[in-house]
Amino acid sequence: MTDRRATQAQRVLRSLTFRYGVKYLLVLTGTVVVITLLLYGLYIYRYFNELSRSIIEEQDTLKLVYNGQGLDGVFQYMRDQRDAQILDRFHYMVVDGDGKRVGGDLPEATSYRMFDDGWFYLELGLMQWGEAVDVEFIARMNDLGSGYRAIVARDYQSALLSGRLVFTTLAQAMLVTILLGLVGGYLAAQRSMQRMEWLGREMSRIIRGDPSKRLDVSAETGHVVTLAKLMNGMLDQTESLMQGIRGISDNIAHDLRTPLGRLRNQLVRLQDSLPEERRPEVDGVIAECDHLLQSFNAVLRISSLESGSFYSGQRQVELARVLRDAVELYEPLAHEKDISLNFRPPTRLAQTRGDADLLFQLFSNVIDNAIKYTPRNGEVAVSLSAGGPAQMHRVIIADTGPGISAEHWEDVFRRFYRVDPSRSAQPGHGLGLSMAQAVAHYHGGRVDLEGNDPGLRVVISLPYSSTDK
Amino acid sequence: MHVLLIEDDFAIAEFISGELTKAGYACTHCGDGDSGYTTALEGEFDLWVIDRMLPGRSGLDLLGGLREHGKDTPALVLSALGDVDERVRGLQTGADDYLVKPFSMDELLARLEVLLRRRSSGGEVPTRLQVLDLHMDLLQQEVRRGDQVVPLQPREYRLLEYLMRHAGQVVTRAMLLEHVWGYNFDPQTNVIDVHVSRLRQKIDRDFEQPLLQTVRGAGYRLGPEPP
Repeated sequence: MTDRRATQAQRVLRSLTFRYGVKYLLVLTGTVVVITLLLYGLYIYRYFNELSRSIIEEQDTLKLVYNGQGLDGVFQYMRDQRDAQILDRFHYMVVDGDGKRVGGDLPEATSYRMFDDGWFYLELGLMQWGEAVDVEFIARMNDLGSGYRAIVARDYQSALLSGRLVFTTLAQAMLVTILLGLVGGYLAAQRSMQRMEWLGREMSRIIRGDPSKRLDVSAETGHVVTLAKLMNGMLDQTESLMQGIRGISDNIAHDLRTPLGRLRNQLVRLQDSLPEERRPEVDGVIAECDHLLQSFNAVLRISSLESGSFYSGQRQVELARVLRDAVELYEPLAHEKDISLNFRPPTRLAQTRGDADLLFQLFSNVIDNAIKYTPRNGEVAVSLSAGGPAQMHRVIIADTGPGISAEHWEDVFRRFYRVDPSRSAQPGHGLGLSMAQAVAHYHGGRVDLEGNDPGLRVVISLPYSSTDK
Repeated sequence: MHVLLIEDDFAIAEFISGELTKAGYACTHCGDGDSGYTTALEGEFDLWVIDRMLPGRSGLDLLGGLREHGKDTPALVLSALGDVDERVRGLQTGADDYLVKPFSMDELLARLEVLLRRRSSGGEVPTRLQVLDLHMDLLQQEVRRGDQVVPLQPREYRLLEYLMRHAGQVVTRAMLLEHVWGYNFDPQTNVIDVHVSRLRQKIDRDFEQPLLQTVRGAGYRLGPEPP
């Protein structure tokens, strides 16, 4: 059960809807991240521009104050500024010609980094609301006059903090969006997949079972209804095509087989009036007629098997019995060519739902071919391994004949196809394997070819079925 | 013997009735389902040959209706359909045999003969079969030709039993496959001939008069043709 749930989840994750959702989410996230970064960069740039401009202006003010009121005036101004209790204020320091601190509220710098044009960066432990905090400053030094120099600094901590705050908030919101998107995408994909699976299930039920059935449109809403209606339309078309094919087959049967049969019967009548020595010639013509009629019948049977639906009856066929009967029927034919024809029965009961006559036809066609193409003293081995609920029954008919090279394996199931033109010397109408494949498909199975080194292995897979359901 | 033929294809009907007359049957022909139904219901026939596809009433409907009226005349249904389930449906509806068109006249005659014979032999269950000097003891499952015991494989025994039960009649390959092997199918090769020639080896080889004959274009016959 957990396994099934796991594979179900995997299927949802792999579904188109989910993958679209994830792609959309990725693009959205990428776009938002780029925009945020750009905004952040712009904000920082503007902020520092403003900061440096304000520092230069403050220095100009200091210079004016110094020019007007001297050093004392400057100190007075600085104190006024500090007492003004402005949160985001300037910090000052005035040094004399020897670089000694003479005033201001900045402590003597412990470390700093110089930039061009008198700008520098420093970090100081400041007391703020009774706590020592490392604060980053941007500062500039310039001459006041008479050898004094003033440093004006302004911290940008708060700006950075608010920038980061905005940034992390955005990132968190993004993360939540992604998570919600994934969950939502998963749920949406699951829902749409369930609907698709419903459609697929219903369709295959209709195709395999009764082609006259239709999808229940009222059970669904939205796009699925449109799709279901379309599919129903398609089924209508397929059904009418199928009926058309049946009609054509019937017509061929009526229009061609009947006169051919009449011709044959007239030949038989003609033969009675012929002198004894001429009769073998007519015999040959009658045999040709029979051969043609047989091909006709076979083609029609194949067509009707292929155009019809799948076997829908409830009859259980015991494969070992049918296979044993087929082997037994062909035993004398094999014996005549000194071919050993063996049947290895299954260890368990192998049942399939189907038509015993058709399955017998399938097995006997393949065994017939195997004997036909196996040289004298060869071997034809028939075996059956019983399948289970998850595994098909496998009938293997292996011969020691010349085999068929792999490139022809698909073609030999086509009607009238012969691998080697010289093989047409063999009796038969080249329909045996097409018929076999048609019968296998009709039962929901298939016929595959494999090499046998030397020879050919025909593997017939048929669905498992059990009576105790 | 009077046969009622219900067949809409005039050419086929003419051919069949001609051949039947030649073979010594009297033949009445109806060209559609409704007239066929009334004729069959009112007349006394020994055999019905009914086409499946008829204008008016389909062959199987017609047959089903007749059977409901308690008519048990042996019926052979002809069909042009190569369909798979048709045969079973035909036999379920009350057909005694089923033949897919086109068939050879020999096949049809052979099957009609069997149907007639089956009817006349009634309900008695024989314990012994005999064709000239060939004896089959159905209880002992023993076969003798003259004084000699002929050892047979089980399938050969059943093949011979079928031939002996229809002694003097033509038995086609399709009939043998159907009744001896129990499968209705279309063999690609002459596999039946091989079985028959094996059987022939056993019952005819050491004897002057051959019993098992090949009937050209049709099938086999065991024993002499009835007069």
